[in-house]
Amino acid sequence: MASQTPAIVMDNGTGFSKLGFAGNDAPSFVFPTAIATRGGVSGGGGGSGSGRPAIANKPSYLTGGSGSGGALAAKRGTEDLDFSIGDEALAASAGPGYGIHYPVRHGQVENWDHMERFWSNSIFKYLRVEPEDHYFLLTEPPLNPPENRENTAEIMFESFNCAGLYIAVQAVLALAASWTSAKVADRSLTGIVVDSGDGVTHVIPVAEGYVIGSSIKSIPIAGRDITYFVQSLLRDRGEADSSLKTAERVKEEYCYVCPDMVKEFARFDREPDRFLKHTVTAPNGRSVTVDVGYERFLAPEIFFNPEIYSSDFLTPLPTVVDGVIQQSPIDVRRGLYKNIVLSGGSTLYKDFGRRLQRDIRHLVDARLRASEARSGGAKSGGLDVQVVTHKRQRHGPWFGGSLLGQTPEFRSYCHTKAEYDEIGPSIVRRFALLGGPGST
Amino acid sequence: MLLLDYQNVLIQSLLTERFSGASPVSIDQVVSDFDGVTYHLSTPESKTKILISINVRCFKELVQYGAQDVLEREYGPYIVAPESGYDFSIQIDLESLPADQDAKDDLIRRTSLLKRNSMAAPFERAFDDFMQRQEEASKFTRESAPEGVREGGEVMAIHYRDEEAIYIKSSHDRVTVIFSTIFREETDRIFGKVFLQEFVDARRRAIQNAPQVLYRNEPPLELQGVRGLSDGSNGEVGYVTFVLFPRHLTPQRRQETISHIQTFRDYFHYHIKASKAYIHSRMRRRTADFLQVLNRARPENEEKERKTASGRTFRVQG
Ligand SMILES: Nc1ncnc2c1ncn2[C@@H]1O[C@H](COP(=O)(O)OP(=O)(O)OP(=O)(O)O)[C@@H](O)[C@H]1O
Repeated sequence: MASQTPAIVMDNGTGFSKLGFAGNDAPSFVFPTAIATRGGVSGGGGGSGSGRPAIANKPSYLTGGSGSGGALAAKRGTEDLDFSIGDEALAASAGPGYGIHYPVRHGQVENWDHMERFWSNSIFKYLRVEPEDHYFLLTEPPLNPPENRENTAEIMFESFNCAGLYIAVQAVLALAASWTSAKVADRSLTGIVVDSGDGVTHVIPVAEGYVIGSSIKSIPIAGRDITYFVQSLLRDRGEADSSLKTAERVKEEYCYVCPDMVKEFARFDREPDRFLKHTVTAPNGRSVTVDVGYERFLAPEIFFNPEIYSSDFLTPLPTVVDGVIQQSPIDVRRGLYKNIVLSGGSTLYKDFGRRLQRDIRHLVDARLRASEARSGGAKSGGLDVQVVTHKRQRHGPWFGGSLLGQTPEFRSYCHTKAEYDEIGPSIVRRFALLGGPGST
Repeated sequence: MLLLDYQNVLIQSLLTERFSGASPVSIDQVVSDFDGVTYHLSTPESKTKILISINVRCFKELVQYGAQDVLEREYGPYIVAPESGYDFSIQIDLESLPADQDAKDDLIRRTSLLKRNSMAAPFERAFDDFMQRQEEASKFTRESAPEGVREGGEVMAIHYRDEEAIYIKSSHDRVTVIFSTIFREETDRIFGKVFLQEFVDARRRAIQNAPQVLYRNEPPLELQGVRGLSDGSNGEVGYVTFVLFPRHLTPQRRQETISHIQTFRDYFHYHIKASKAYIHSRMRRRTADFLQVLNRARPENEEKERKTASGRTFRVQG
């Protein structure tokens, strides 16, 4: 029956969820993965208002029979529906009575109760679809435990009766998203994904659509740290407004990656028009101006020179990427160097890709020269290093999902409700590789 | 969230953003809504002209019941020839928007209600028909009313989903709206029954002026003679009948009533799913409790192996 309905693509990240329909070039909704519920933390029951014991309050339809009517019905609560998600949740949590929760931590779902309700609201309030009519494509982080997949499937199939489900790894989708770039000649699913979101940055090698789990590296520096760094610079200068929000605005609007830190300082001193002013308008109508200076290039620089920000993580991003490739099986290394794909909000700085490419190339060339010298005269054929930047980077995984979800064969890759009923949750431990060799 | 919204949030937020004077961008999105409705939002000519097209499964039927008039009333000057593959299109030119904010908001609101308004026609027609009949009937006493007046109008069927339909019938003292519903899932069916029982009971308790609701598995009497009905013998199909009384049909209440009753099916399914989510969360909490109990549990006086000084053990014989 669900013959024409577009598939639904949901990418629930740590910071933001991207929801939309396959075939579109941008997600329909992007909002924080946050849920505001009545009272305190669920299960504690200690919050205001609802403070009900966990066991005593059974909804009447569990105690059987709707016969006796009145008395039971009066107690019937709808507290479980008193919640909101996304931006509304942030707004609600600012007021009294609601607590905010982030169901996804480090890319993985932590609180399934909240996630289930988050999904329910996403589907019914925002996307406005009947899940029985649609196929779903969800994403998961690399190395997601299979139990999490099963939990997801349980919710999608048993609560929502969705018609079909596919769960894809974000990194693989990000690779698929890079197919839109002119630089990508063949649509291969081999490459290395540098995924930098809000909380952490992953470097994930993918060979023919399969993540090489043993070589994944995570870097504890990502969007949030950059925001903090900008904030601290603003504070040091004693700017009129140094809130986190302003820092984030400044970061997103003015920051770029420079080729060389020292030269850039000199350049700023030579060209005073590189210093900018940012105007913040407070909700009450007052506005203040904030000077924007060296942080324009210093902030993203912490990817390349982490020592200016952190004292316990000191490996620059290009070195990490190079290291990950060197740890991968030798037969895919060439392919990985050739296809370094960026994804996530924190890779959007201007010239980020160019700098990354240059630095990695330096590392590679240095190593090649060293080995040429050691081998005494043998010439190496050289190694092609290419960092792919493309327009869809911001929502890379979502866009990849949208691209694959609209293909005619997508549905045949999904597990359907009938299959789930037959086999059970373990069915989602395996998915055929979407967009891999053999499909278009 | 207790009730579902009537408007499409995406259209609403998109237009609000566009109308607020943000720099024009090109849009090309296909968006779904409940009941298999598809929208296409695009800017085919220039970035300031937003074309919004809607595809409704049962548009032909709706036109029969006067959808065109309703849509013309709501969207008059914005209507353009329907885009191919869609049933109805409107185009909004950002450069010639109404000047004041209220009118803009009204336009946003109306546009986001496109689905609701497309489906409203048969309801409006039934309500009008009811008014007429009521007037006519007031000329007669109950017994002397001619056949036509007592019988009521023909049944209007809207096959808004593949296997489900809404039937509307007006008569001189009520409008009957019947939903045929299908449950694929055993569990859902049971939840559904409980819910519908609640609806049926609601009137008996506090909410006296709620519409009367009936639920049964075989087609109700009103649908006699309508073709293509499943007799519901396998229990999959159910018929939910709402009886709207004159107080629901006054001109002031009418639009409300139409909006509410249209979302009934989705509302119903949403709540079935929400209850499942609720039960799941209780089950998870219970499991966590049990696990705690298990973790605390220790076998009482553990049997230790006893050894002699030389290291031999005792064994129970037999
Ligand atoms: N134009 C921009 N320039 C720089 N940073 C940006 C820009 N736009 C967004 N960001 C930053 O990107 C981050 C959000 O990225 P993203 O939405 O990819 O994270 P996520 O998907 O929620 O996280 P994860 O991928 O780890 O699950 C935020 O820290 C935000 O400040």
